[in-house]
Amino acid sequence: MAQPVPPAGSLSIFRPAQPPKGLAARGGFIPRDEIFLRITSDDQVRAFCGHVDLGTGIATALAQIVAEELDASPARVQMVLGHTETTPDQGATIASETIQVTAIPLRRAAAQARRILLERASTLTGRPVDTLAIRDGVLVCEPPLPNLSYRIGDLIGGVTLHVLLDDTVTVKKTSEYRLVGRDMPRVDIPAKVTGRAVYVHDVRVEGMLHARVVRPPYDGYDHGPYVGRSLRAVDRQSVRHVPGLVDVVVLGDFVGVVAEREEQAIEAARLLQVEWAPVALPDLSDPEAAIGNNPATPRVVLDRGQLEEGLEAATTRLDREYLWPYQMHGSIGPSCSVADWQGGKLTVWSGTQNPHMLRADLALLMGIPTSEIKVIRHEAAGCYGRNCADDVGGDAALLSRAVGRPVRVQLSREQEHVWEPKGAAQLVRIRGGLNAAGQPVAYDLDTSYPSNVSPLLALVLTGVVPAEVPPVAQMGDRTSVPPYDYPNARITVQDMPPIARASWFRGVSALPNSFAHDSYIDELATAAGADPLEYRLEHLKDQRAADLLKATASRAGWTRRTGPPSVDPAASVLKGRGLAYAQYVHGTFPGTAAAWSAWVADVEVNRHSGVVSVTRAVVGQDAGMMVNPAGVRHQLHGNVIQSTSRILHEQVQFDEKGVESRDWGTYPILTFPELPVIEPLLMERQDQPPLGAGESASVPSAAAIANALYAATGVRFREVPFTPEKVKAQLDAALGPLQPSPPQPLPALAITGKAAHPAMAAATLGAKLRKGAFAAGFAAIGGMMATLIPWRPAIAPASPPTPGLFSEAAIARGAKVAAAGDCAVCHTAPGGVTNAGGFALETPFGVVHTTNLTPDPQTGLGAWSYEAFARAMRHGISRDGHNLYPAFPYTAFAKTSEEDMRDLYAYLMSQTPVSNQVPKTALRFPYSLRFSMAGWNMLFHDPAPFRPDPAQSAQWNRGAYLAEGLGHCSACHTPRNAMGAERWKTAYLTGGEAEGWTAPALGSLSHAPLPWSEDDLYAYLRTGFSPNHGPAGGPMAPVVHSMAALPDTDVRAIAHYIASFDRRNAPEGADGRRADILEKTRDRQSLSRGEGSRIYNGSCASCHEGEGAHLFGARPQLSLNSNIWADTPDNLITVILNGVPAPAFRHESTMPAFGKVMSDRQIAELVGYLRHTMAPGRAAWTDLPAHVARIRAQGGH
Amino acid sequence: MADSVFLTVNGERHEIHAAPDTPLLTVLRNDLRLNGPKFGCGLGECGACTVLLDGRAARSCVIRLDTAAACTSIVTLEGLSPDGSDPVQRAFVKAQAAQCGYCLNGMVMTLRAFLDAVDQPDRAALKEALRYNLCRCGTHVEIMKAACIAAGLSEGEP
Repeated sequence: MAQPVPPAGSLSIFRPAQPPKGLAARGGFIPRDEIFLRITSDDQVRAFCGHVDLGTGIATALAQIVAEELDASPARVQMVLGHTETTPDQGATIASETIQVTAIPLRRAAAQARRILLERASTLTGRPVDTLAIRDGVLVCEPPLPNLSYRIGDLIGGVTLHVLLDDTVTVKKTSEYRLVGRDMPRVDIPAKVTGRAVYVHDVRVEGMLHARVVRPPYDGYDHGPYVGRSLRAVDRQSVRHVPGLVDVVVLGDFVGVVAEREEQAIEAARLLQVEWAPVALPDLSDPEAAIGNNPATPRVVLDRGQLEEGLEAATTRLDREYLWPYQMHGSIGPSCSVADWQGGKLTVWSGTQNPHMLRADLALLMGIPTSEIKVIRHEAAGCYGRNCADDVGGDAALLSRAVGRPVRVQLSREQEHVWEPKGAAQLVRIRGGLNAAGQPVAYDLDTSYPSNVSPLLALVLTGVVPAEVPPVAQMGDRTSVPPYDYPNARITVQDMPPIARASWFRGVSALPNSFAHDSYIDELATAAGADPLEYRLEHLKDQRAADLLKATASRAGWTRRTGPPSVDPAASVLKGRGLAYAQYVHGTFPGTAAAWSAWVADVEVNRHSGVVSVTRAVVGQDAGMMVNPAGVRHQLHGNVIQSTSRILHEQVQFDEKGVESRDWGTYPILTFPELPVIEPLLMERQDQPPLGAGESASVPSAAAIANALYAATGVRFREVPFTPEKVKAQLDAALGPLQPSPPQPLPALAITGKAAHPAMAAATLGAKLRKGAFAAGFAAIGGMMATLIPWRPAIAPASPPTPGLFSEAAIARGAKVAAAGDCAVCHTAPGGVTNAGGFALETPFGVVHTTNLTPDPQTGLGAWSYEAFARAMRHGISRDGHNLYPAFPYTAFAKTSEEDMRDLYAYLMSQTPVSNQVPKTALRFPYSLRFSMAGWNMLFHDPAPFRPDPAQSAQWNRGAYLAEGLGHCSACHTPRNAMGAERWKTAYLTGGEAEGWTAPALGSLSHAPLPWSEDDLYAYLRTGFSPNHGPAGGPMAPVVHSMAALPDTDVRAIAHYIASFDRRNAPEGADGRRADILEKTRDRQSLSRGEGSRIYNGSCASCHEGEGAHLFGARPQLSLNSNIWADTPDNLITVILNGVPAPAFRHESTMPAFGKVMSDRQIAELVGYLRHTMAPGRAAWTDLPAHVARIRAQGGH
Repeated sequence: MADSVFLTVNGERHEIHAAPDTPLLTVLRNDLRLNGPKFGCGLGECGACTVLLDGRAARSCVIRLDTAAACTSIVTLEGLSPDGSDPVQRAFVKAQAAQCGYCLNGMVMTLRAFLDAVDQPDRAALKEALRYNLCRCGTHVEIMKAACIAAGLSEGEP
């Protein structure tokens, strides 16, 4: 690569590139001069650092260091981070070492530049150097220079200075600092609050296309015999119809779709049919067993004293095991990258932590030299180690090369969850004990952490890098040596390959190792009858550590205690306080020590639910000199909150398909109401070297919380996370179950009065669906009838009506009749022309393809006379004389008045003709015998027109006319017998089926927890949403859309009529009952805190909980939704699987399809939870996973 | 693509050519090149994509384009104020309430809608209002401080 040419009028401090050190450094080293600082004559200061800002505010602190040594104004210093063309290669941004390690040459460069500038000033002014200084970027002199002012840029003028970095330059003494050590506002926040900041997600390149990747079925695994070798076939035809599709790119197991627009790429990725070979993944349902079975190479990093003798000398043996789960970084922004391949050169815009390493990986992937690749780093969402493997950069590069245009790749949330390299599970075993004096005599720790430096995914998916055997990295040794001075100690690190894809995650293995160290010493203290603080201090030889621990305990108000806590087994809430200490040691053993940290945590445990709350955390930290104390405090807060979340909530679930946790419900993180009070204590050590502060405060967290839990409950918890069900089970076992107060049932609804409809009255007496009552004989009866009933003749084709034949008024009235009849709902195919037919209607007898109702002479109604039309509507006979199936509800339409029928005909025949030949309906035998429908009609069809009931009001009769006739409510809401006939006489509106959905009972047999009032029904039918019942979903949504054309009076009449059948009423009134249901739901929710609760709160509650006036749209309260109260879970499961892509209510969000997010097991957990907490008194549904699997297999409805 | 609708975003009317079921977020980011609303989950869970629809907080990843087109006004982070002078934005700067800042859009927009609708909320109400806005960096303390400043509460303990 050509050496960069310094611009004229500049001072640059450089050094020849040095290969970066450390485990994460791999390949790509280019010998060249690397610039650390450049000052130009226009007074700009640019400082260059190979590390990047991961959202920690490091750019602000680095600018502070440069400004300090240069005596410039920090506002004039522009930091350039992680750009491969311009910044030094300083390895991976990991281990919180940017200030501690990476800033050192930067600081020296700034000090050197100041010296050079002052020497130049001396030459320019003729004053001795020691009389000159720079203040806020301006030359100052004692005595002052008359009438002259120099800014630092002026001191450079037109010369070009390219100066080798002097590592021996004198930097300022800490006593001279004016900027470093002071709180400094972050430089990036003003742009972030206004949307001006350009994250990598916001990069837009001219001509850019959008892409999505389709990942293989080994979800979350990046090595094994199947990786890169599992693709069998890609069916490009499956997406050919997607508008804007540019290409489907396939390279080994790498599959991507590229489209003009992002939503088109999303749709193509969703629809693309890819066939993969079956893969057998490692079983990670039990991480402890999986780690135990993983091949390991022991590495003893400490062997002190005589371990075995110490163990034998122990009078009290304590052998313990600690287990940490797989966890996620859980970046809030799923990975994104843009790549532009132009003539063999590649530019990648990336959020990587390691731009230079990414460049090396890209060179390998693309088969080009690193000198042809430019990585431009942008800020991404906080990633905590995740972006060491910036997979999307490789994805974007491959796709851009394939299509020859810039391509943006964005992972979905599910892909981010599945494919991010996890923080590995960890198993720590300790053998040890005390002598009779309570002194520890042995400490034998064995730690296993299956992680490595996960490869760029594109490298293994394409097969460029073989993935059969994963590389082993030495990552389990962070803070593996305990801080306590155990006389006989051995520390063994089991170096092992990863199991699931794994990489760096904040605290790496130090957090679990410290969980073991500091839980264990707490147990020792208790066993020794000593105070946990005093016992630690006795064995902590590091003075700064001891000072920190004492200061932190004092700030927290630690009170001396010895022995096990006394716990009231009858108390509802238990409280306790615990402490822990750790120093984060990063890098392969012996590593580099970062900041010291100590925690005192207060917890509360709810005995009824098992919920653990961290109420207060006093966290002390000694980070040596702090460049920007505000930034350090902020990092401390972040570490406390994130680690509390990890310890209380977080565990990646695996099933036979790999990573099962794919969203924020299945992998929940801490929320605002759970926020502990955090009291940071920053030790004043400004005279000491700076130490990494980005992770340290997380390291003692787990032990402190576990120790507080012990203090509260007397029970030791050695497996993270401390989830409610785990805590409750352990406490119930130890303390005896706490008797819960019995749940209060919901009062039954009273049934008063008599339903107005004779059929309905019979139904309310308890008629039940009697499926299969007419199980046999259909074909026989049908065939017999066919011989008895004369064949209906064809009606001769008529000429299509001429324009102007029908009056505008008739057409307009007809449009309303069509709306009342919902014609378009069934006679319009998805994405098709209204009423042009072709919708595939699923029935129990097979699929019925709806016909074309536009006046096209060949394929539609164009040749139909009014006589033919009316005969079809009233008798179910097609124009050519063949029988129609009653999926077309002529049984209801027969009630239509002559006027309405003529208007409807006028409307339909006035539509624009559309030629659309729909597939022929072919039902299963015997239903395929259309003539048998003639017999069916004799048995089940009453062609009599609607007869008003004189005992009822005009409004009721109008409602009845619309609902029983055109509206054909009963077609879905009345059960059908085995021959498909509605059971009007015995079960009118008592619930039926529609397109795979259950159509609920509408009368007093309704399971809706609140009676349907006329107002409820009116709101529901008019707007698609009833606050007392919820939104219209499934096939009801298009019905509501269709009814939008009806006048209010008609909708009101239908509501009046239907409501007259619901004779239930709540003695406490609807509002009182509603409040009662919501309160009982909340009570049950607060006690039921297992997986279903987590999924509901993380995946559902953001839209379904709360009715804040500030929130847009309907907020459907699930506890009022009849699907939760129904006999079967089918509708609920169907909605969860498929979502609500087109809601009926105008002001409502869509509901995502969670079928792509959640497993059958997870949906079953959620559905069970909803039923239990929201339908008090209803029996639990059984076999839920099987129901979910069945409905999923049926596909979308 | 034949479909076309009009959206009024940050006071300007735009004609959008996209399918009616396109997520509003995609249109705002790609057609109108607005960076404020962020893609976080596409499932309505995290809040990073929050915008104001007729003054109310809405998760634009689960709002259809045709639903948005039926609204009178759509306001994004950029539209609160061009210079960060909205009191909620100012409070976030004052409280230094960002680490990576990716979730910040959702926090600011949710609080803006909440404070417009609720008089004198207390801290607990502010926490509830932000319950379904996720932050992974752990900036909750600073965000609560910003929320308190914007709500006119003394900052104190969160």
